[in-house]
Amino acid sequence: MTETALVTDRGTDHALSVPRATVRHGTVTLVDVADLRIAPGRPLTIVGESGSGKSVLAHALMGTLPPELVAEGSMAIGPARFDLADRSGRRHLWGRELALLPQEPGLSLDPTMRVRAQVAEGARGWRPRDRAALRLADERLDHVGLAGSGAAYPHTLSGGMAQRVAYAAATIGGARILVVDEPSKGLDPASLDRLADLLAGHVADGGLLLTITHDLRLARRLGGEVLVMRDASVVEGGPADRVLTAPRHAYTERLVAAEPSRWRHAWTSPPTADRTAEPLVSARGISKSYGDHVLFRDLSLDIRAGERWAFTGPSGAGKTTLGNAVVGLASLDAGSVARHPATRGGRVQKLYQDPTSSFPRRVPLEGPLRDVLRRHGAGEDRLRSLLAHVGLPPEILRRRPGQVSGGELQRIAVVRAMLARPVLVFADEATSRLDLATQETTMDLLMTEVTGTGCALLLVTHDPALAAAVTEHRIELGQA
Amino acid sequence: MTTPLLEAAATVDGARRRRPLTRVVALGGLLALAVFAVIGPLMLPDPAAQDLSRYLEAPTLAEPLGRDDYGRSVLARLAHAARLSLVLAAGCVATALVLGTTAGVVSAWLGGWVDALLRAVSEAFVAIPALLVVLLVSALGSGGIWALYLGLALAQWVEYFRVVRARTGLVLGSPAVEAARLLRLGPVHVVRRHLWPDLRQLLTTLASLGMVTSILAMSTLGFVKVGLQPPRAELGLMITDSFPFYDIAPWLALAPVTVLFLLTVCFLGLRTSEDPS
Amino acid sequence: MSLRIRALGGVLARRGAQSVGVAVLVSVLCFLVVRRLPGDAAYRIAAGRYGYDLVDEKAADAVRAELGLDRPAWQQLGGWLGDLFRLDLGRSLVTSRPVVEEVGYYLLGTLQLAAVALAFATVLGGAAGVLAARRPGGPVDRLATAWVAGVRAVPPFLLGLVLVIVLSAQLGLLPAVGHDSASGIVLPALTLGIGLSGLVARVTRDAVVEVRQSDYVRFAHTKGLAERWVLLRHVVRNAAVVLVPYLGVQAVILVEGVVVVESLFAWQGLGHALVHAVFWRDVPVLQAAALALALLIVTLNTLVDVAGLWLDPRPRRQEARA
Repeated sequence: MTETALVTDRGTDHALSVPRATVRHGTVTLVDVADLRIAPGRPLTIVGESGSGKSVLAHALMGTLPPELVAEGSMAIGPARFDLADRSGRRHLWGRELALLPQEPGLSLDPTMRVRAQVAEGARGWRPRDRAALRLADERLDHVGLAGSGAAYPHTLSGGMAQRVAYAAATIGGARILVVDEPSKGLDPASLDRLADLLAGHVADGGLLLTITHDLRLARRLGGEVLVMRDASVVEGGPADRVLTAPRHAYTERLVAAEPSRWRHAWTSPPTADRTAEPLVSARGISKSYGDHVLFRDLSLDIRAGERWAFTGPSGAGKTTLGNAVVGLASLDAGSVARHPATRGGRVQKLYQDPTSSFPRRVPLEGPLRDVLRRHGAGEDRLRSLLAHVGLPPEILRRRPGQVSGGELQRIAVVRAMLARPVLVFADEATSRLDLATQETTMDLLMTEVTGTGCALLLVTHDPALAAAVTEHRIELGQA
Repeated sequence: MTTPLLEAAATVDGARRRRPLTRVVALGGLLALAVFAVIGPLMLPDPAAQDLSRYLEAPTLAEPLGRDDYGRSVLARLAHAARLSLVLAAGCVATALVLGTTAGVVSAWLGGWVDALLRAVSEAFVAIPALLVVLLVSALGSGGIWALYLGLALAQWVEYFRVVRARTGLVLGSPAVEAARLLRLGPVHVVRRHLWPDLRQLLTTLASLGMVTSILAMSTLGFVKVGLQPPRAELGLMITDSFPFYDIAPWLALAPVTVLFLLTVCFLGLRTSEDPS
Repeated sequence: MSLRIRALGGVLARRGAQSVGVAVLVSVLCFLVVRRLPGDAAYRIAAGRYGYDLVDEKAADAVRAELGLDRPAWQQLGGWLGDLFRLDLGRSLVTSRPVVEEVGYYLLGTLQLAAVALAFATVLGGAAGVLAARRPGGPVDRLATAWVAGVRAVPPFLLGLVLVIVLSAQLGLLPAVGHDSASGIVLPALTLGIGLSGLVARVTRDAVVEVRQSDYVRFAHTKGLAERWVLLRHVVRNAAVVLVPYLGVQAVILVEGVVVVESLFAWQGLGHALVHAVFWRDVPVLQAAALALALLIVTLNTLVDVAGLWLDPRPRRQEARA
């Protein structure tokens, strides 16, 4: 039973259309869109920032909204019509006609079951101990490039591998319509490329594809139609190559300009660092491995004042460990790291991927920040001016970390780091959880501070475009 | 665990699972019981004064809870029993809390052989139920209060140790504390801003559960006749002694049962939403 | 597979070390009891053995010599622990029978009681938990929460007394005391089981709610898997992964309950023997019964660990951290 056979069975004239769809939570409207259409061979991608309602729309079409959210409207698949308010009406389509590739594939696989069984149970007419389904599962795993991984448990898979397993499980039932929800979360570019190939294959075989993403590169790669969502509604739509290169709506323009490869800031031209100065950090022949997994071996580098370094690579490649080793937070198997006396006394600072976890979580921000002022002899006015500089009111410090948005908190983390007058700032995926526009604002503020004080920067990121936009020295780890 | 799609809904629903009202009512009830336990023994007659002519007297206005099989005032005995339960339980919990928390923080902070040693000791204690420790210790002295106190405290410290050690390990390993170390903020900052705010709620919950455990263990030991000895007024003993008269003098059993139940329910109500288990 | 075998070895080694620690701790406590035995205790023991009329200073001295009270303390402790590791637990000071025989007999009684009580608790608590999990925050859930708190707030002896009054004295349904007929086990086991059911109910509820909301259960649905297969293949197994470790926690509560409930119903088990031994200061029986109860807990925990390894292929947290 191959996919092409399925498609010719049913013809290719069956499109998915949504005349109108709204989703509300209490009095708040999360989604309000009209006239969506997905045709075979022409994928639809919905882009937008978090909170725009794009994921909610996808789940409204699947019929998988949580019970607190109320959907209204209708959708049609070929001649068949479905009421969006009716949750159970589309259940019989799941896996057979309508499939979902969920966010967080790592969490979407049952941790206690081998992946072959998890893929097989999506097959048509599956029964326990169904040998035909297991054979089909092996074929599908082979198709996504995971031949021989059937007996593995999910915790042994990388994020990219888990996603391909999830893809195999979602599509084994032969569903023609595939809904993909935020597939790029936490994926390195190579894994994302492989996934994009699979999705393109699905479209080439006559399938319908709806992708939800905040990643404009993925949207470009998939082609077809693009819709831009903001605050529950669509602000712009059209062919991907037109919308993403010559946007008409101001919001789309801002979104496209926020991609690191298009940044234009005063600090984007590399500074002229003094290559003869004594290095702040000097690593010689450093190595680290976990068990048989070698992260890096015999690596040497010198970081001088004012330089900007990036460590890049896929997740699990050891770039954070390398960064930690350089600033003295991780132990090494071999080699040595010498640090200049100027780095002592808290002059090396770090920004974290999840800013919420980098502040004491149960007390207002104010107290811990005052401890920093006291320790580093900075005055109240210095704190106020830094806060003003990153565009935050002093009152925000009365809140606890959980009550401040991720973007705002990361800016407060920048302020906290700067209070110590650092000579080296280590930004560990500091903007990877932020939306594109927020990432640009945060990075701009950080870089303005860094260049203004002649401080060196060490950036750890999985995003080569970000590394290229910000740094002039790069080390790439874990090329597979 | 939840995807962002569901986050909005989750925070709306899960915001207040244990309403503050429950805690206010529980606190009020406890205060009332504490006042009864403190003032009662001062104002009421001697709980040991027997008057066999008033054998199983029914409740009256002057003697609201009647008299027991020795003609003793049930109300006076109840007040003494409540005081004993509260004071002894509080003493046990305080001792276990200080001991267990200190050991837990030290173990997580220092690591190494200190941690290994404390963990090995705690492993042995964990497998021995509190009641067994108390039984063994009370075999040392004969029904004395000190044996009971020592046994209950010894049996309970390990729970604080395990929970505090685990939580302290998490807090000390968190990026927040790493950031504090990079900022050279020192141990005072770590304890004041990170550790204590995080442990406070946990300890409140553990201590209220510990009060329940202590009060129940005390009454249970009285019941199996190896705890405090008659004629001391103790809730478990009072319940056991009144059992034979349950159909002719039900108030006799009902009074200590009600106080015991109120005490435990109020302490259970004090727990914060954060459950250590 | 070899990873799992290694993990199994780790569990057995850890639990083995724990048993040794437990044995030493119990034994030292018992030793302290012996050291503190007042003079009249020797009299009392002797009286228990020979009858009050026949006790004299010689008999009391004999008891004291039997307990080795005339040697220096460290020697006594060494000898005491040495006996323990030779598994020589001595004879009962009251009945003069070998302690191992007596404790073996009582252990059987306790195991019977514990098994029936656990069955009650699992059925009662499991059902309540699953029902409560169907609608979190609904009326059944609230009722179950009240049940859990109520059961926690009542000591087992009180629960037992109430059950005796209601089922035995008032309704005449069941015998209250006794070990002879099969129905004799119902009341003690019910008392113990109800006490345990609160925790089972709460943990079951939380586990089922959490698993049902998990991403993998939702994905299983959208894969097209029928509801009952989602339940059987994903919910049950993953809920068990959370539930099983709690059975280990329960072992402690179970053993505590056993001591009380056996005394209440005069059930011939370890708890009953233990309380009697404390009362009579029968130290060898005291030590053996306490050891048996503590090792019972370690054994239950070992079984729980092994079941956890079998259910969940992920590496243990402790190993992952190391």
